[in-house]
Amino acid sequence: MPTDSRRVPGPQDSRSPHWYGKHATRQEGDTRPDGRGDHDLRPVYLHAGVVSQATGSAYIEMGQTKVIAAVYGPREIARREEFTMKGRLCCELKFATFACRRRRQHIQDNQEKDGALIVLQALEPAVCLDRFPKSQVDVYITVLQDDGSALAAAITCAAAGLADAGVMMYDIVAGCSVRQCGERQLLDPSVGEELSQEGESAEDHGMVTVGLLPSLNQVSALTLDGHLQQQTAVQAVKTCIGGCQGIYPILKDCLVTSTRKKIPALDPKSSHASTEGQNGQT
Amino acid sequence: MAVHITLPESRKKSAAPDAPKHLVTPGDVITTDTGYMRGHGTYMDDDKLKASLAGVVERVNKLICVQPLKTRYNGEIGDVVVGRVTEVGQRRWRVDVNSRLDAVLMLSAVNLPGGELRRRSAEDELMMREYLVEGDLISAEVQAIFHDGALSLHTRSLKYGKLAQGLMVQVSPSLVKRRKTHFHNLPCGASVILGNNGYVWICPTVDDEKVESSGGYEQDLEPVPSTDREVIARLRNCILSLATHKLMLYDTSVLYAYEASRQYQVKDLLQPDIAEKVADDTRQRLQMESG
Amino acid sequence: MSSTLGVLSDAERLFIVHGVQDDLRSDGRACEDYRHVQVETDVVSNTSGSARLRLGNTDILVGVKAEMGEPDPGRPKEGKLEFFVDCSANASPEFEGRGGEELAIEVSNALQRIFNSRSTLDLTALCIIPEGQCWVLYVDVLVLECGGNLFDAVSLAVKAALFNTRIPTVVVTADDEGQQEIELSDDPYDVKRLDVDNVPLIVTLSKIGHRHVVDASWEEELCSLARLTVGVTQKGTIAGLNKEGSGSLDPESIYEMIESGKKVGMVLNSRLKEALEKEENSKREKIGFLG
Repeated sequence: MPTDSRRVPGPQDSRSPHWYGKHATRQEGDTRPDGRGDHDLRPVYLHAGVVSQATGSAYIEMGQTKVIAAVYGPREIARREEFTMKGRLCCELKFATFACRRRRQHIQDNQEKDGALIVLQALEPAVCLDRFPKSQVDVYITVLQDDGSALAAAITCAAAGLADAGVMMYDIVAGCSVRQCGERQLLDPSVGEELSQEGESAEDHGMVTVGLLPSLNQVSALTLDGHLQQQTAVQAVKTCIGGCQGIYPILKDCLVTSTRKKIPALDPKSSHASTEGQNGQT
Repeated sequence: MAVHITLPESRKKSAAPDAPKHLVTPGDVITTDTGYMRGHGTYMDDDKLKASLAGVVERVNKLICVQPLKTRYNGEIGDVVVGRVTEVGQRRWRVDVNSRLDAVLMLSAVNLPGGELRRRSAEDELMMREYLVEGDLISAEVQAIFHDGALSLHTRSLKYGKLAQGLMVQVSPSLVKRRKTHFHNLPCGASVILGNNGYVWICPTVDDEKVESSGGYEQDLEPVPSTDREVIARLRNCILSLATHKLMLYDTSVLYAYEASRQYQVKDLLQPDIAEKVADDTRQRLQMESG
Repeated sequence: MSSTLGVLSDAERLFIVHGVQDDLRSDGRACEDYRHVQVETDVVSNTSGSARLRLGNTDILVGVKAEMGEPDPGRPKEGKLEFFVDCSANASPEFEGRGGEELAIEVSNALQRIFNSRSTLDLTALCIIPEGQCWVLYVDVLVLECGGNLFDAVSLAVKAALFNTRIPTVVVTADDEGQQEIELSDDPYDVKRLDVDNVPLIVTLSKIGHRHVVDASWEEELCSLARLTVGVTQKGTIAGLNKEGSGSLDPESIYEMIESGKKVGMVLNSRLKEALEKEENSKREKIGFLG
């Protein structure tokens, strides 16, 4: 385990008291704990322009999952080895140490690096990289609270941040996930549903995350963990795509609102003068 | 759909084909006779001539040198090479030719489009990228050697220049025999360029007249028909099997290997046992022809 | 010196893309054909299980060491599996120092993903004392040579090594003070084997043009913008899926690729099982690294 010499580490073999408690039995029946239907998304709140010093940023809340993304760039690539006419996109994902039920380390672990790579590959097809040659755009994502579907929320948040930063893109990316528990398909699972071990003995159990470019209908990110039959896997991907299409209008709405706020208030005298100039020319 | 999973075979001792040669390793004494001149791959220690490379001793009158069996390409003037452009610089391109230093192709050493003969201007320098970029493959001839060993190439003839559709195979440079010509239009329907540096280029047969008129610049980007493609794939597998079994590569050996492989399917030539059979058949036929 | 393994010219790319469309790849294979695979187990004596696998030019060595440790608090009756992948510098000069680390993390994450679920390996068989001691299997993967399609080769080698793993039988006795004592059996042949029937294999499908290919060589990998790595078990269950690369995929292509991956994966699983059982039943001499 890599050690961090700059901070005072907590005791290495400490454990969460959670393991010693009694585990609450899951509610039986068809309803999910928060009363949603199987294919309902949680309420989404998305706000762009939260980090004042960044070129662009966004904050998303999907139910209790909170993610913030900051975008810096395009700026010069620090170490440039070879000539390239395409820009570069770099992505870093980090869960805050208090974000999950079990305390995480300060240093990026393998799961976070994997997540960062998935978000990077989700965003790359959407960005017009040939518009900023020899430059680099950095996206930094922090998950403040993980209550399920953190990776999907990270993808959506990063895309909104890029749009807020004014980086040219072909489309905005929306992310969504589905948890398959036996025969049930739960869209946008909460952390309890994600980690529940129910249905693991059944044939189909797993978690699917999809990143979609909605207006082009192209999938840019796809991850499946668990064991699924081929038909179930295909169904789960289709449900995720439907979920992404559902998030798309919310994304668009939020970006339009934040862009509207950035337009300077029009001065009535200056607008009159410009129309006169136009009439004079014609 | 074919999936083959086998257990490994132990290495067979290949039959020694020729008379045993004088093989040496670094530090072996070649001779204690002081009448000889030292060549490449040797050094003097006291009064003894020792080898500094693992290879075959070659004696030409009074000159003793050691030829290594597997080495990086050492260029000679007049060699035909196939190389890949690695960098576009000021008035020159750097080309990788499997040697210890990248070769240099000067702007003044290439043909201008349309076959013009004029002095290169500043505009030509800015247009370099229009002709060759990083990753492009070219065939060229070695014009000169710099004192540090880097090669200087030229593509002044119409048969050299940027290479179009086809595929490249890498073999050891010592397997390519030095011949009068390295461009072969094989009767089976494909063209092969056996670069002295070990880079072999296989492509569909080039129509010579078409090349002459355009000045070596136009690239035919039409899809290659399946029959030609199959021939190219077969040639690729044959060349690789000859290289794995250490047979010299020249037009006759490639052609014999192609004919020996016709009884098998192209993808079966990837199996090590079938590749060995093809190499053995070729070796036998070559021995019969020469012996 | 720049490496030439990372670039292709545009014409070469076009040649490869057209070939894939015609279902005739550069080496003659069809889109769903694998290159030749050679596998051998029990090649390293200090491990509980090991395997060496060669797929085309890719060479992987896997060693499994079984050690005793404490189980996870959340899963007290199960053993653990830990993966570590090392892309050694001999595989490619680009892997020198920390260069290969990113690739190593990707491979180890892919392995972690397919082994995550309980249906893969029965981990309760690795328990010694519930909530006390369990077997921890350290699976170490060493990439000796990298010639394209690393994920498939690594998963094949890992499955072969796990098949070969022999865990010594332990007897747990309670001594006079009620403490539990663990005793290792003296007989070296008294071992437990793992049931690897449900262990999935990774099939990488690369999208080139409008079609997808299985087992891409490094040239084909450079032409594909998006890849799908599918974990498939013998029964045809999808055990993990991940899209890689900077391009995007059409949903219809994804469904086709999953179908194709499942078909190829089932064949791959059964061929590997046949080869491993053949090796087990025949009393052949170990070839190891001398082949």
